[in-house]
Amino acid sequence: MLTSEHSIVEYKAGRAIPDRLTQNTHRHYMDYAEKMLSIYRNGIGRQRRRLHRQIEALFADEADCPTRRIQAFCKLLDDASVFRTDPSGKAARLRLEVFSRAACRHPLVQQPDRLFEHEERKVKAQLADGFGTAWDQIEQALYADVMAFQQLEEFAGYCDPGALLSRYNVSQLQACLYRAESMTVLATDDLKTILRYAKLARLLHEIKRLGPSKYAIVLAGPASVLRDTRIYGVNFAKFLPALLACKGWKMTAILQTPWNMRAKLDLSEKDGFTSHLPSLEEFDSRLEESLAKKFGQARDGWQLVREGEVLHDRQKTFVPDFTFSHKDGTQVHLEIVGFWTPEYLAHKRQTLRRFKHHRILIAVPEKSLRQGASIGANVLVYKTAIKLNALIEALDRIRIKDP
Amino acid sequence: MRVGAWRSDAIYYSSVRAVLNHRSMSSFHDDVPQPVRVCWAKVELPKLRPEQTEALTAWIEAGRRGQIIMPTGTGKTEVAFAAMRETKIATLVVAPVRDLMYQWHRRILGAFGYDAGIVGDNLFNIKPITVTTYDSAYIHMDKMGAGFGLLIFDEEHHLPGKCRREAAILSAAGMRLGLTATPERSDGLHRDLDWLIGPVVYQMPFKSAKGSTLADFDVVRVPVALNDLEQATYDQCSRVIRHFITSRRKDLPGYTWRDLCKESGKDPKARHAQKAYYLKQSVEDRAAEKLRVLEDIFRLHNGQQILVFAGSNAMAIEVSRRFLVPTILSHTRKRERLAALEGFAKGLFTVLVANRVLDEGVDVPEAKVAVVIGGQASTRQAKQRLGRVLRRSGNARATLYEVVCESTKEVERSRKRRRSDAYERTLHRRV
Repeated sequence: MLTSEHSIVEYKAGRAIPDRLTQNTHRHYMDYAEKMLSIYRNGIGRQRRRLHRQIEALFADEADCPTRRIQAFCKLLDDASVFRTDPSGKAARLRLEVFSRAACRHPLVQQPDRLFEHEERKVKAQLADGFGTAWDQIEQALYADVMAFQQLEEFAGYCDPGALLSRYNVSQLQACLYRAESMTVLATDDLKTILRYAKLARLLHEIKRLGPSKYAIVLAGPASVLRDTRIYGVNFAKFLPALLACKGWKMTAILQTPWNMRAKLDLSEKDGFTSHLPSLEEFDSRLEESLAKKFGQARDGWQLVREGEVLHDRQKTFVPDFTFSHKDGTQVHLEIVGFWTPEYLAHKRQTLRRFKHHRILIAVPEKSLRQGASIGANVLVYKTAIKLNALIEALDRIRIKDP
Repeated sequence: MRVGAWRSDAIYYSSVRAVLNHRSMSSFHDDVPQPVRVCWAKVELPKLRPEQTEALTAWIEAGRRGQIIMPTGTGKTEVAFAAMRETKIATLVVAPVRDLMYQWHRRILGAFGYDAGIVGDNLFNIKPITVTTYDSAYIHMDKMGAGFGLLIFDEEHHLPGKCRREAAILSAAGMRLGLTATPERSDGLHRDLDWLIGPVVYQMPFKSAKGSTLADFDVVRVPVALNDLEQATYDQCSRVIRHFITSRRKDLPGYTWRDLCKESGKDPKARHAQKAYYLKQSVEDRAAEKLRVLEDIFRLHNGQQILVFAGSNAMAIEVSRRFLVPTILSHTRKRERLAALEGFAKGLFTVLVANRVLDEGVDVPEAKVAVVIGGQASTRQAKQRLGRVLRRSGNARATLYEVVCESTKEVERSRKRRRSDAYERTLHRRV
């Protein structure tokens, strides 16, 4: 995934045009992509810095290539690589050890004389002896944890040059959307899939029905979320490939330009971005998974239904994450909210009023609550996981209060 | 009495002679070789300012023996040159580090048209006028102690150290000149300068530095030259940039660096120029000679805690690898950072290398010596760096070394940094 430092966007007449390499405009990039892949494929054991320099050198005489594009390619190639890292802090420990042993011989001089006898070369050789290795080995390991010096261990890569370029195009689109204030997706057949991914990414959303199997999903963009903008932006970016892989959709995003103006980005299935539905593992769905697993099929008279039904009330639509049915026939829908803003919650309340003939329970993360926030009867606050006891208590409370 | 005679250190040569003369024992033999007289091919010195003349006169009247204390930037070197012009005798100039020794060499060539000898940096080339460093003077004085009539000690406060003083003791030179901005040493040894060199003959009053929020301290600028390979790269890059900009300005007179950056995505030539610019910066930043200057400074301030500020992570790592000293980089984890800081505070590590991260509110242990070997000119950065070195603790002297590449952008940056108000209170060495 790219960061906004890699983003190349042209703003023209109120429209945002993210950088895109196509067959028509950039046919010759296929060749570059092939070469880039081969640099990484043949680069096992090389330092990250060296690989990046090789990529840079590849484009030295290319007329059409901003520096950011080169950096973006490096990032995408790195993303598909495994570098040798040092999670246990081995290099740091080695440094302290080496520096401590060398401290009494400071300063290491090039030419020893009567004043300073510790010759750099000799001291280093002696230190290396102490470690039972050659100095070159120690020197290599000394700062092995610095990003630029990390060595490439594996390159899973992209299956072909075209895949790298497609990934580049999608990534630029994602990076462009970090600036989105909102996104409206018009969905038809694939509504459920789109919605599922929007929910997996915990995006703030609102669904409207426009007609028979025609819906508008309004998503809040990263630029509008008050807190955790970065995490939200990453989630937002993760959602995009899913949308691109779906059928029968159109979307319009409103972006904030670097000059604090608004720009529009229109996109549809017809734009021909290549993408796959992301695997579910890319999303943090632990909360839902563990809840479903812990709850089991039935518990304390309640039964759990995974795929909640789509509720309609004229234009308003509500799609719960789970539905619980009690043996007495009561149904309670549960929606889990990951991010929220005061506006979003206000909106949710309105929706809930609309659906007041349904029983709805909302789970809200504790860390996103403001101090002194009033928690209604149908709100369940959770920390990192939803506790079963608290859930069942809340379900029963709703059932009894509102028979 | 082993040799059946009275013996004395060479430093007492003049006094012994004087006593013998006084007792009119005209029959004594003096076998000490007399220093040669020199004739200057040319003398190109700027006219001395009144206080410089005053200092020179005082030194001459004191029997050409003594210390002149003048703030940095008030032209100590010019006074030394005037002294050389007056004495016209074999002279040894002792400088703190090799690069300052070379600077003396260049300036002597400029002022007198004299290609001085060099002792130090693997050279041993004694001439009537010779430049050397404190370390080399100590090591080689036994071989050259009798040859000079005048000794000039630049930054004389380095002389009274345990070994380095030998340089003054083993020389028979009767004329001695010590130059410094602040002679005090925390170990009190500066009192010995009175007999190693001579009494203080002139002291220019400090005006503003003392008692202000920044303690008075020395800024010593050490110019370094790029080596041939670096210089070639640097010049090549400069040509690329100049060539590109000139060609653009033919059509667009107002063409600027910003335009170039904008164009770099569309035109490989612009991108080449942009790259050349960054390469130039990195050549300056990582000039090999900076490591050599660091070695000299570490020698000079042996036993003192030294902070080194590098201009980049890469340079900080290079210093660390060369001298095996700890670094604090932006990505250094907390544990290592604490270990390094604590080790430094306790004196386990005598040197700590940082990139710019120490700028922002990190509690850095005290140090009286700091070396800036790169970095952008920025007022706040400069202030923070200085404040840290100068944080008051006792009245030990504080020194800030600025190691800058000569005749490159870095010199300009160093000037710019000096103009910032953090430096306004201090007095500087002018190069």
